[in-house]
Amino acid sequence: MNLLTTASRPTIALGGFFALAWEVLLLIPRRPFAWREFFVQAWFVARVSLLPTLMLAMPYTVLVVFTFNILLVEFGAADFCGTTAAFATVTQVGPIVTVLVVAGAGATAMCADLGARTIREELDALRVMGLNPVHALVVPRVLAATLAAVLLSSWVITVGLVGGFFFSVFVQHVTPGAYVAGMTVLTGVPDLLVALVKAALFGLAAGLIACYKGISVKGGPAGVGNAVNETVVYTFMALFAINIIATAVGVKITL
Amino acid sequence: MTVAAPRLPRLVIKAKGWAAGWNRLGTQAQFYAKTVASTGDALLNYRTELLRLIAQMGLGTGALAVVGGTVVIVAFLTVTTGALAAVIGYNQFADIGVEALTGFASAYFNVRLAAPLTAGIALAATIGAGATAQLGAMRINEEIDALEVMGIRSIPYLASTRLVAGVIVVVPLYCVAVLAAFVSARLCTTVVYGQSSGVYDHYFNTFLSPTSLIWSFLLAVSMAIVIMLVHTYYGYTATGGPAGVGEAVGRAVRTSLVSAGVLTVFVSLAAYGQSGNFNLSG
Repeated sequence: MNLLTTASRPTIALGGFFALAWEVLLLIPRRPFAWREFFVQAWFVARVSLLPTLMLAMPYTVLVVFTFNILLVEFGAADFCGTTAAFATVTQVGPIVTVLVVAGAGATAMCADLGARTIREELDALRVMGLNPVHALVVPRVLAATLAAVLLSSWVITVGLVGGFFFSVFVQHVTPGAYVAGMTVLTGVPDLLVALVKAALFGLAAGLIACYKGISVKGGPAGVGNAVNETVVYTFMALFAINIIATAVGVKITL
Repeated sequence: MTVAAPRLPRLVIKAKGWAAGWNRLGTQAQFYAKTVASTGDALLNYRTELLRLIAQMGLGTGALAVVGGTVVIVAFLTVTTGALAAVIGYNQFADIGVEALTGFASAYFNVRLAAPLTAGIALAATIGAGATAQLGAMRINEEIDALEVMGIRSIPYLASTRLVAGVIVVVPLYCVAVLAAFVSARLCTTVVYGQSSGVYDHYFNTFLSPTSLIWSFLLAVSMAIVIMLVHTYYGYTATGGPAGVGEAVGRAVRTSLVSAGVLTVFVSLAAYGQSGNFNLSG
Protein backbone atom coordinates (compact mmCIF):
# COMPACT_ATOMS: atom_id res chain seq x y z
CA MET A 1 0.00 0.00 0.00
CA ASN A 2 2.73 2.39 1.07
CA LEU A 3 4.80 1.43 -1.95
CA LEU A 4 1.79 2.01 -4.17
CA THR A 5 1.26 5.57 -2.86
CA THR A 6 4.97 6.34 -3.30
CA ALA A 7 4.92 4.97 -6.82
CA SER A 8 1.77 6.84 -7.78
CA ARG A 9 2.97 10.22 -6.47
CA PRO A 10 4.92 11.32 -9.57
CA THR A 11 2.02 10.27 -11.78
CA ILE A 12 -0.39 12.31 -9.70
CA ALA A 13 1.96 15.31 -9.81
CA LEU A 14 2.32 14.96 -13.59
CA GLY A 15 -1.46 14.76 -13.98
CA GLY A 16 -1.90 17.81 -11.78
CA PHE A 17 0.62 19.71 -13.86
CA PHE A 18 -1.15 18.91 -17.13
CA ALA A 19 -4.50 19.80 -15.55
CA LEU A 20 -3.10 23.19 -14.59
CA ALA A 21 -1.57 23.70 -18.05
CA TRP A 22 -4.90 22.88 -19.68
CA GLU A 23 -6.76 25.21 -17.32
CA VAL A 24 -4.32 28.03 -18.07
CA LEU A 25 -4.80 27.49 -21.79
CA LEU A 26 -8.57 27.62 -21.41
CA LEU A 27 -8.48 30.72 -19.21
CA ILE A 28 -6.16 32.81 -21.44
CA PRO A 29 -9.00 34.21 -23.61
CA ARG A 30 -11.31 34.87 -20.64
CA ARG A 31 -12.06 38.56 -19.90
CA PRO A 32 -11.12 40.57 -17.95
CA PHE A 33 -7.47 39.76 -18.57
CA ALA A 34 -5.27 40.72 -15.59
CA TRP A 35 -3.21 43.28 -17.52
CA ARG A 36 -1.82 44.96 -14.43
CA GLU A 37 -0.51 41.70 -12.95
CA PHE A 38 0.86 40.76 -16.40
CA PHE A 39 2.90 43.94 -16.78
CA VAL A 40 4.10 43.92 -13.18
CA GLN A 41 5.27 40.31 -13.52
CA ALA A 42 6.86 40.81 -16.96
CA TRP A 43 8.75 43.83 -15.67
CA PHE A 44 9.72 41.91 -12.55
CA VAL A 45 11.12 38.95 -14.52
CA ALA A 46 12.97 41.27 -16.88
CA ARG A 47 14.37 43.35 -14.00
CA VAL A 48 15.75 40.44 -11.99
CA SER A 49 17.07 38.67 -15.11
CA LEU A 50 18.78 41.51 -16.99
CA LEU A 51 22.08 41.63 -15.08
CA PRO A 52 22.45 37.85 -14.55
CA THR A 53 21.85 37.19 -18.27
CA LEU A 54 24.60 39.65 -19.10
CA MET A 55 26.93 38.02 -16.58
CA LEU A 56 26.12 34.51 -17.82
CA ALA A 57 26.01 35.18 -21.59
CA MET A 58 29.58 36.56 -21.68
CA PRO A 59 31.45 33.61 -20.10
CA TYR A 60 29.42 31.08 -22.08
CA THR A 61 30.11 32.77 -25.41
CA VAL A 62 33.74 33.35 -24.57
CA LEU A 63 34.07 29.66 -23.71
CA VAL A 64 32.40 28.56 -26.94
CA VAL A 65 34.44 30.95 -29.07
CA PHE A 66 37.64 29.90 -27.29
CA THR A 67 36.96 26.17 -27.78
CA PHE A 68 36.01 26.57 -31.44
CA ASN A 69 38.91 28.90 -32.16
CA ILE A 70 41.41 26.27 -31.01
CA LEU A 71 40.07 24.09 -33.81
CA LEU A 72 39.82 26.84 -36.40
CA VAL A 73 43.34 28.11 -35.72
CA GLU A 74 44.57 24.53 -36.11
CA PHE A 75 42.86 24.32 -39.53
CA GLY A 76 44.14 27.80 -40.45
CA ALA A 77 40.61 29.13 -40.67
CA ALA A 78 40.55 31.57 -37.75
CA ASP A 79 38.78 34.16 -39.90
CA PHE A 80 35.68 31.99 -39.77
CA CYS A 81 35.33 32.36 -36.01
CA GLY A 82 32.48 34.83 -36.58
CA THR A 83 30.57 31.99 -38.22
CA THR A 84 30.91 29.63 -35.29
CA ALA A 85 30.29 32.39 -32.75
CA ALA A 86 27.06 33.43 -34.48
CA PHE A 87 25.89 29.86 -34.96
CA ALA A 88 26.59 28.79 -31.36
CA THR A 89 25.19 31.99 -29.85
CA VAL A 90 21.98 32.13 -31.87
CA THR A 91 21.06 28.46 -31.85
CA GLN A 92 22.26 27.29 -28.41
CA VAL A 93 23.75 29.82 -26.00
CA GLY A 94 21.04 32.45 -26.50
CA PRO A 95 17.96 30.37 -25.68
CA ILE A 96 19.71 28.27 -23.01
CA VAL A 97 21.21 31.16 -21.07
CA THR A 98 17.88 32.95 -21.26
CA VAL A 99 15.99 30.11 -19.73
CA LEU A 100 18.66 29.34 -17.15
CA VAL A 101 18.24 32.86 -15.87
CA VAL A 102 14.47 33.03 -16.31
CA ALA A 103 14.22 29.73 -14.40
CA GLY A 104 16.87 30.62 -11.84
CA ALA A 105 15.79 34.19 -11.19
CA GLY A 106 12.20 34.67 -12.34
CA ALA A 107 10.58 31.26 -11.87
CA THR A 108 12.08 30.70 -8.42
CA ALA A 109 10.79 34.07 -7.22
CA MET A 110 7.37 33.36 -8.75
CA CYS A 111 7.24 29.96 -7.07
CA ALA A 112 8.37 31.42 -3.73
CA ASP A 113 5.76 34.17 -3.95
CA LEU A 114 2.89 31.84 -4.90
CA GLY A 115 4.06 29.22 -2.39
CA ALA A 116 4.09 31.73 0.46
CA ARG A 117 0.58 32.83 -0.55
CA THR A 118 -0.57 29.21 -0.65
CA ILE A 119 0.63 28.33 2.85
CA ARG A 120 -0.84 31.59 4.19
CA GLU A 121 -4.12 30.40 2.61
CA GLU A 122 -4.44 33.53 0.48
CA LEU A 123 -5.39 31.46 -2.55
CA ASP A 124 -8.23 29.85 -0.60
CA ALA A 125 -9.33 33.36 0.41
CA LEU A 126 -9.41 34.33 -3.28
CA ARG A 127 -11.56 31.29 -4.06
CA VAL A 128 -13.96 32.20 -1.23
CA MET A 129 -14.30 35.66 -2.75
CA GLY A 130 -15.30 34.04 -6.02
CA LEU A 131 -12.04 34.74 -7.88
CA ASN A 132 -10.25 31.94 -9.69
CA PRO A 133 -6.58 32.13 -8.59
CA VAL A 134 -5.49 30.45 -11.83
CA HIS A 135 -7.15 33.23 -13.84
CA ALA A 136 -6.05 36.05 -11.55
CA LEU A 137 -2.50 34.96 -10.73
CA VAL A 138 -1.26 32.04 -12.84
CA VAL A 139 -2.30 33.11 -16.36
CA PRO A 140 -0.58 36.53 -16.23
CA ARG A 141 2.55 34.99 -14.69
CA VAL A 142 2.87 32.28 -17.34
CA LEU A 143 2.38 34.76 -20.18
CA ALA A 144 4.76 37.24 -18.55
CA ALA A 145 7.48 34.59 -18.28
CA THR A 146 6.97 33.68 -21.96
CA LEU A 147 7.17 37.31 -23.14
CA ALA A 148 10.16 38.09 -20.94
CA ALA A 149 12.01 34.99 -22.18
CA VAL A 150 11.54 36.01 -25.83
CA LEU A 151 12.69 39.57 -25.20
CA LEU A 152 15.61 38.47 -23.05
CA SER A 153 16.84 35.95 -25.60
CA SER A 154 17.42 38.71 -28.17
CA TRP A 155 19.35 40.62 -25.50
CA VAL A 156 21.44 37.52 -24.74
CA ILE A 157 22.19 36.95 -28.43
CA THR A 158 23.30 40.58 -28.81
CA VAL A 159 25.50 40.42 -25.73
CA GLY A 160 26.94 37.08 -26.84
CA LEU A 161 27.81 38.32 -30.33
CA VAL A 162 29.40 41.52 -29.01
CA GLY A 163 31.29 39.60 -26.32
CA GLY A 164 32.48 37.07 -28.90
CA PHE A 165 33.61 39.95 -31.12
CA PHE A 166 35.71 41.55 -28.40
CA PHE A 167 37.20 38.22 -27.31
CA SER A 168 38.05 37.15 -30.88
CA VAL A 169 39.40 40.49 -32.03
CA PHE A 170 41.32 41.67 -28.97
CA VAL A 171 42.40 38.36 -27.38
CA GLN A 172 42.63 36.00 -30.34
CA HIS A 173 43.66 38.62 -32.95
CA VAL A 174 41.05 37.87 -35.60
CA THR A 175 40.36 40.60 -38.18
CA PRO A 176 37.21 42.50 -37.13
CA GLY A 177 35.89 42.61 -40.69
CA ALA A 178 36.29 38.85 -41.09
CA TYR A 179 34.39 38.24 -37.86
CA VAL A 180 31.47 40.41 -38.93
CA ALA A 181 31.44 39.03 -42.48
CA GLY A 182 31.49 35.45 -41.21
CA MET A 183 28.50 35.86 -38.94
CA THR A 184 25.86 35.27 -41.59
CA VAL A 185 27.48 32.33 -43.37
CA LEU A 186 25.66 29.62 -41.44
CA THR A 187 23.12 31.59 -39.47
CA GLY A 188 20.13 33.17 -41.14
CA VAL A 189 16.63 34.39 -40.39
CA PRO A 190 15.21 30.83 -39.98
CA ASP A 191 17.76 30.05 -37.26
CA LEU A 192 16.89 33.27 -35.47
CA LEU A 193 13.17 32.49 -35.66
CA VAL A 194 13.76 28.96 -34.33
CA ALA A 195 15.80 30.48 -31.48
CA LEU A 196 12.98 32.88 -30.58
CA VAL A 197 10.39 30.08 -30.70
CA LYS A 198 12.65 28.01 -28.47
CA ALA A 199 12.95 30.86 -25.98
CA ALA A 200 9.16 31.26 -25.94
CA LEU A 201 8.68 27.52 -25.29
CA PHE A 202 11.24 27.61 -22.50
CA GLY A 203 9.60 30.63 -20.88
CA LEU A 204 6.20 28.97 -21.10
CA ALA A 205 7.48 25.74 -19.54
CA ALA A 206 9.34 27.63 -16.79
CA GLY A 207 6.26 29.73 -15.93
CA LEU A 208 3.93 26.72 -15.86
CA ILE A 209 6.25 24.61 -13.70
CA ALA A 210 6.90 27.49 -11.28
CA CYS A 211 3.18 28.22 -10.89
CA TYR A 212 2.25 24.55 -10.50
CA LYS A 213 4.91 24.01 -7.83
CA GLY A 214 3.91 27.29 -6.16
CA ILE A 215 0.20 26.56 -5.83
CA SER A 216 0.72 22.94 -4.72
CA VAL A 217 3.07 23.76 -1.81
CA LYS A 218 2.57 21.90 1.47
CA GLY A 219 4.19 22.17 4.88
CA GLY A 220 5.50 25.58 5.93
CA PRO A 221 8.80 27.31 5.06
CA ALA A 222 10.62 24.03 4.42
CA GLY A 223 7.88 23.16 1.91
CA VAL A 224 8.37 26.44 0.05
CA GLY A 225 12.13 25.90 -0.03
CA ASN A 226 11.70 22.38 -1.41
CA ALA A 227 9.12 23.55 -3.95
CA VAL A 228 11.55 26.17 -5.25
CA ASN A 229 14.32 23.58 -5.39
CA GLU A 230 12.06 21.23 -7.37
CA THR A 231 11.06 24.11 -9.66
CA VAL A 232 14.71 24.68 -10.56
CA VAL A 233 15.36 20.98 -11.16
CA TYR A 234 12.23 20.31 -13.22
CA THR A 235 12.61 23.49 -15.26
CA PHE A 236 16.18 22.64 -16.17
CA MET A 237 15.15 19.08 -17.09
CA ALA A 238 12.26 20.36 -19.21
CA LEU A 239 14.59 22.89 -20.79
CA PHE A 240 17.11 20.29 -21.90
CA ALA A 241 14.40 17.94 -23.13
CA ILE A 242 12.69 20.70 -25.14
CA ASN A 243 16.06 21.92 -26.42
CA ILE A 244 17.09 18.60 -27.97
CA ILE A 245 13.73 18.20 -29.73
CA ALA A 246 13.56 21.82 -30.85
CA THR A 247 17.15 21.66 -32.11
CA ALA A 248 16.48 18.50 -34.12
CA VAL A 249 13.37 20.10 -35.63
CA GLY A 250 15.24 23.36 -36.23
CA VAL A 251 18.07 21.54 -38.00
CA LYS A 252 15.55 19.87 -40.30
CA ILE A 253 13.84 23.20 -41.07
CA THR A 254 16.93 25.30 -41.63
CA LEU A 255 19.17 22.92 -43.51
CA MET B 1 10.12 70.41 17.32
CA THR B 2 10.93 68.93 13.98
CA VAL B 3 13.64 66.42 13.31
CA ALA B 4 16.43 67.98 11.29
CA ALA B 5 16.42 66.62 7.73
CA PRO B 6 19.78 65.12 6.75
CA ARG B 7 21.77 67.04 4.20
CA LEU B 8 21.59 65.67 0.66
CA PRO B 9 19.10 62.88 1.57
CA ARG B 10 19.26 61.07 -1.76
CA LEU B 11 23.02 60.99 -1.82
CA VAL B 12 23.09 59.68 1.75
CA ILE B 13 20.63 56.89 0.92
CA LYS B 14 22.62 55.96 -2.18
CA ALA B 15 25.87 55.96 -0.24
CA LYS B 16 24.30 53.79 2.45
CA GLY B 17 23.19 51.35 -0.24
CA TRP B 18 26.72 51.16 -1.65
CA ALA B 19 28.15 50.70 1.83
CA ALA B 20 25.67 47.89 2.57
CA GLY B 21 26.62 46.13 -0.68
CA TRP B 22 30.30 46.48 0.14
CA ASN B 23 29.71 45.14 3.67
CA ARG B 24 27.71 42.22 2.24
CA LEU B 25 30.70 41.26 0.08
CA GLY B 26 32.85 41.36 3.21
CA THR B 27 30.48 39.15 5.23
CA GLN B 28 30.26 36.75 2.32
CA ALA B 29 34.05 36.49 2.06
CA GLN B 30 34.25 36.01 5.83
CA PHE B 31 31.67 33.21 5.69
CA TYR B 32 33.54 31.46 2.87
CA ALA B 33 36.85 31.73 4.72
CA LYS B 34 35.26 30.33 7.89
CA THR B 35 33.60 27.48 6.00
CA VAL B 36 36.79 26.48 4.22
CA ALA B 37 38.86 26.85 7.39
CA SER B 38 36.54 24.62 9.41
CA THR B 39 36.49 21.70 6.98
CA GLY B 40 39.04 19.96 9.23
CA ASP B 41 36.71 20.44 12.18
CA ALA B 42 33.84 18.95 10.16
CA LEU B 43 35.93 15.96 9.10
CA LEU B 44 37.05 15.30 12.68
CA ASN B 45 33.95 15.96 14.71
CA TYR B 46 30.88 15.67 12.49
CA ARG B 47 31.56 12.49 10.54
CA THR B 48 28.09 11.02 11.06
CA GLU B 49 26.45 14.18 9.73
CA LEU B 50 28.89 14.12 6.82
CA LEU B 51 27.96 10.55 5.88
CA ARG B 52 24.26 11.34 6.17
CA LEU B 53 24.71 14.35 3.84
CA ILE B 54 26.69 12.33 1.29
CA ALA B 55 23.90 9.73 1.16
CA GLN B 56 21.28 12.45 0.92
CA MET B 57 23.05 14.40 -1.84
CA GLY B 58 23.72 11.33 -3.93
CA LEU B 59 20.16 10.10 -3.84
CA GLY B 60 18.15 13.26 -3.23
CA THR B 61 15.30 13.81 -0.80
CA GLY B 62 11.52 14.06 -0.97
CA ALA B 63 9.93 14.29 -4.39
CA LEU B 64 13.34 14.40 -6.11
CA ALA B 65 14.22 10.98 -4.69
CA VAL B 66 11.08 9.57 -6.33
CA VAL B 67 12.31 10.71 -9.74
CA GLY B 68 15.58 8.91 -9.06
CA GLY B 69 17.69 11.44 -7.20
CA THR B 70 20.66 13.56 -8.18
CA VAL B 71 22.38 10.81 -10.18
CA VAL B 72 19.44 10.37 -12.55
CA ILE B 73 18.92 14.11 -12.94
CA VAL B 74 22.58 14.79 -13.74
CA ALA B 75 22.65 11.82 -16.13
CA PHE B 76 19.46 13.00 -17.86
CA LEU B 77 20.82 16.50 -18.41
CA THR B 78 24.11 15.29 -19.86
CA VAL B 79 22.36 12.66 -22.02
CA THR B 80 20.52 15.51 -23.72
CA THR B 81 23.68 17.59 -24.23
CA GLY B 82 25.52 14.56 -25.60
CA ALA B 83 22.69 13.97 -28.04
CA LEU B 84 22.80 17.67 -28.91
CA ALA B 85 26.50 17.42 -29.79
CA ALA B 86 25.61 14.49 -32.06
CA VAL B 87 22.61 16.24 -33.71
CA ILE B 88 24.47 19.48 -34.42
CA GLY B 89 27.81 17.83 -35.14
CA TYR B 90 26.40 15.20 -37.50
CA ASN B 91 24.24 17.63 -39.47
CA GLN B 92 26.85 20.36 -39.76
CA PHE B 93 29.57 17.89 -40.72
CA ALA B 94 27.24 16.14 -43.17
CA ASP B 95 26.74 19.54 -44.82
CA ILE B 96 30.37 19.48 -45.98
CA GLY B 97 30.50 15.68 -46.35
CA VAL B 98 32.63 14.80 -43.34
CA GLU B 99 29.96 13.32 -41.04
CA ALA B 100 32.50 10.62 -40.14
CA LEU B 101 34.00 13.19 -37.78
CA THR B 102 30.97 13.19 -35.44
CA GLY B 103 32.96 10.97 -33.06
CA PHE B 104 35.55 13.71 -32.92
CA ALA B 105 32.85 16.27 -32.05
CA SER B 106 31.71 14.09 -29.16
CA ALA B 107 35.23 13.53 -27.83
CA TYR B 108 36.18 17.20 -28.15
CA PHE B 109 33.11 19.28 -27.29
CA ASN B 110 31.63 16.95 -24.67
CA VAL B 111 34.83 16.91 -22.66
CA ARG B 112 35.74 20.58 -22.96
CA LEU B 113 32.42 22.35 -23.21
CA ALA B 114 29.16 20.50 -22.82
CA ALA B 115 29.80 18.14 -19.93
CA PRO B 116 31.41 20.65 -17.52
CA LEU B 117 28.86 23.39 -18.21
CA THR B 118 25.90 21.02 -17.96
CA ALA B 119 27.28 19.35 -14.86
CA GLY B 120 27.70 22.78 -13.26
CA ILE B 121 24.09 23.64 -14.05
CA ALA B 122 22.89 20.29 -12.74
CA LEU B 123 24.93 20.57 -9.53
CA ALA B 124 23.62 24.07 -8.84
CA ALA B 125 20.03 22.92 -9.41
CA THR B 126 20.17 19.70 -7.38
CA ILE B 127 22.60 19.57 -4.48
CA GLY B 128 23.17 23.35 -4.40
CA ALA B 129 19.55 24.50 -4.38
CA GLY B 130 18.70 21.63 -2.02
CA ALA B 131 21.31 22.85 0.47
CA THR B 132 19.97 26.42 0.29
CA ALA B 133 16.39 25.23 0.80
CA GLN B 134 17.35 23.11 3.82
CA LEU B 135 19.54 25.71 5.50
CA GLY B 136 17.06 28.50 4.74
CA ALA B 137 14.20 26.56 6.32
CA MET B 138 16.43 25.88 9.35
CA ARG B 139 17.27 29.57 9.63
CA ILE B 140 13.61 30.65 9.36
CA ASN B 141 12.54 28.07 11.98
CA GLU B 142 15.36 29.34 14.23
CA GLU B 143 16.92 25.89 14.25
CA ILE B 144 20.38 27.34 13.53
CA ASP B 145 20.09 29.60 16.59
CA ALA B 146 19.03 26.54 18.59
CA LEU B 147 22.17 24.70 17.42
CA GLU B 148 24.33 27.61 18.58
CA VAL B 149 22.56 27.63 21.95
CA MET B 150 23.26 23.91 22.34
CA GLY B 151 26.94 24.67 21.84
CA ILE B 152 27.29 23.17 18.35
CA ARG B 153 29.38 25.31 16.01
CA SER B 154 26.87 25.91 13.24
CA ILE B 155 29.23 26.77 10.37
CA PRO B 156 31.32 23.58 10.59
CA TYR B 157 28.25 21.48 11.38
CA LEU B 158 26.04 22.83 8.57
CA ALA B 159 28.19 24.57 5.94
CA SER B 160 31.58 22.82 6.01
CA THR B 161 30.02 19.35 6.09
CA ARG B 162 27.98 20.26 3.01
CA LEU B 163 31.07 21.62 1.26
CA VAL B 164 33.01 18.39 1.89
CA ALA B 165 30.02 16.21 0.98
CA GLY B 166 29.54 18.17 -2.27
CA VAL B 167 33.19 17.70 -3.27
CA ILE B 168 33.02 13.96 -2.49
CA VAL B 169 29.70 13.45 -4.28
CA VAL B 170 30.76 15.33 -7.41
CA VAL B 171 33.44 12.79 -8.38
CA PRO B 172 31.11 9.82 -9.07
CA LEU B 173 28.43 12.23 -10.34
CA TYR B 174 30.79 13.69 -12.91
CA CYS B 175 31.85 10.18 -14.01
CA VAL B 176 28.18 9.41 -14.63
CA ALA B 177 27.73 12.74 -16.42
CA VAL B 178 30.65 12.27 -18.84
CA LEU B 179 29.75 8.63 -19.53
CA ALA B 180 26.12 9.56 -20.17
CA ALA B 181 27.21 12.26 -22.63
CA PHE B 182 29.52 9.85 -24.50
CA VAL B 183 26.98 7.03 -24.63
CA SER B 184 24.12 9.23 -25.79
CA ALA B 185 26.26 10.89 -28.49
CA ARG B 186 27.35 7.45 -29.72
CA LEU B 187 23.84 5.99 -29.70
CA CYS B 188 22.39 9.07 -31.37
CA THR B 189 24.97 8.93 -34.16
CA THR B 190 25.06 5.18 -34.74
CA VAL B 191 21.44 4.20 -34.07
CA VAL B 192 19.44 7.30 -35.03
CA TYR B 193 21.60 8.62 -37.89
CA GLY B 194 22.84 5.16 -38.88
CA GLN B 195 26.58 5.77 -38.99
CA SER B 196 28.68 2.62 -38.69
CA SER B 197 29.95 2.27 -35.14
CA GLY B 198 33.48 1.42 -36.27
CA VAL B 199 33.88 4.82 -37.95
CA TYR B 200 32.45 6.58 -34.93
CA ASP B 201 34.66 4.71 -32.46
CA HIS B 202 37.78 5.26 -34.55
CA TYR B 203 37.50 9.05 -34.59
CA PHE B 204 36.22 9.14 -31.01
CA ASN B 205 39.19 7.16 -29.67
CA THR B 206 41.67 9.10 -31.84
CA PHE B 207 40.63 12.48 -30.48
CA LEU B 208 39.75 11.58 -26.89
CA SER B 209 42.60 13.08 -24.89
CA PRO B 210 43.12 11.81 -21.33
CA THR B 211 44.73 15.10 -20.26
CA SER B 212 41.61 17.03 -21.24
CA LEU B 213 39.48 14.56 -19.31
CA ILE B 214 41.56 15.07 -16.17
CA TRP B 215 41.32 18.84 -16.55
CA SER B 216 37.61 18.50 -17.02
CA PHE B 217 37.41 16.54 -13.75
CA LEU B 218 39.38 19.18 -11.87
CA LEU B 219 37.05 21.78 -13.34
CA ALA B 220 34.03 19.89 -12.04
CA VAL B 221 35.51 19.61 -8.55
CA SER B 222 36.34 23.33 -8.42
CA MET B 223 32.83 24.14 -9.65
CA ALA B 224 31.39 21.98 -6.86
CA ILE B 225 33.42 23.92 -4.27
CA VAL B 226 32.22 27.31 -5.57
CA ILE B 227 28.60 26.15 -5.92
CA MET B 228 28.42 24.66 -2.43
CA LEU B 229 30.00 27.77 -0.87
CA VAL B 230 27.55 30.14 -2.60
CA HIS B 231 24.52 28.00 -1.85
CA THR B 232 25.32 27.42 1.83
CA TYR B 233 25.92 31.16 2.28
CA TYR B 234 22.54 32.14 0.85
CA GLY B 235 20.76 29.43 2.85
CA TYR B 236 22.59 30.29 6.07
CA THR B 237 21.68 33.97 5.82
CA ALA B 238 18.07 33.62 4.57
CA THR B 239 15.60 36.10 6.04
CA GLY B 240 11.94 37.00 5.60
CA GLY B 241 9.71 34.01 6.25
CA PRO B 242 8.65 31.26 3.81
CA ALA B 243 8.91 33.54 0.76
CA GLY B 244 12.41 34.52 1.93
CA VAL B 245 13.59 30.91 1.69
CA GLY B 246 12.36 30.71 -1.88
CA GLU B 247 13.97 34.01 -2.80
CA ALA B 248 17.24 32.89 -1.22
CA VAL B 249 17.17 29.75 -3.39
CA GLY B 250 16.59 31.88 -6.50
CA ARG B 251 19.36 34.31 -5.65
CA ALA B 252 21.75 31.46 -4.85
CA VAL B 253 21.02 29.67 -8.16
CA ARG B 254 21.61 32.89 -10.10
CA THR B 255 24.87 33.70 -8.31
CA SER B 256 26.26 30.18 -8.50
CA LEU B 257 25.43 29.80 -12.22
CA VAL B 258 27.29 33.03 -12.97
CA SER B 259 30.27 32.13 -10.78
CA ALA B 260 30.43 28.60 -12.21
CA GLY B 261 30.38 30.08 -15.76
CA VAL B 262 33.15 32.58 -15.01
CA LEU B 263 35.17 29.89 -13.23
CA THR B 264 34.85 27.55 -16.23
CA VAL B 265 36.20 30.25 -18.55
CA PHE B 266 39.20 30.98 -16.38
CA VAL B 267 40.03 27.36 -15.64
CA SER B 268 39.69 26.48 -19.35
CA LEU B 269 41.92 29.38 -20.37
CA ALA B 270 44.46 28.35 -17.75
CA ALA B 271 44.29 24.63 -18.51
CA TYR B 272 44.28 24.67 -22.32
CA GLY B 273 46.18 27.93 -22.82
CA GLN B 274 46.40 30.08 -25.91
CA SER B 275 47.65 27.19 -28.05
CA GLY B 276 44.68 25.05 -27.02
CA ASN B 277 46.67 21.92 -26.18
CA PHE B 278 45.15 20.26 -29.21
CA ASN B 279 46.89 18.23 -31.88
CA LEU B 280 45.12 17.50 -35.10
CA SER B 281 47.38 14.52 -35.70
CA GLY B 282 46.00 12.92 -32.52
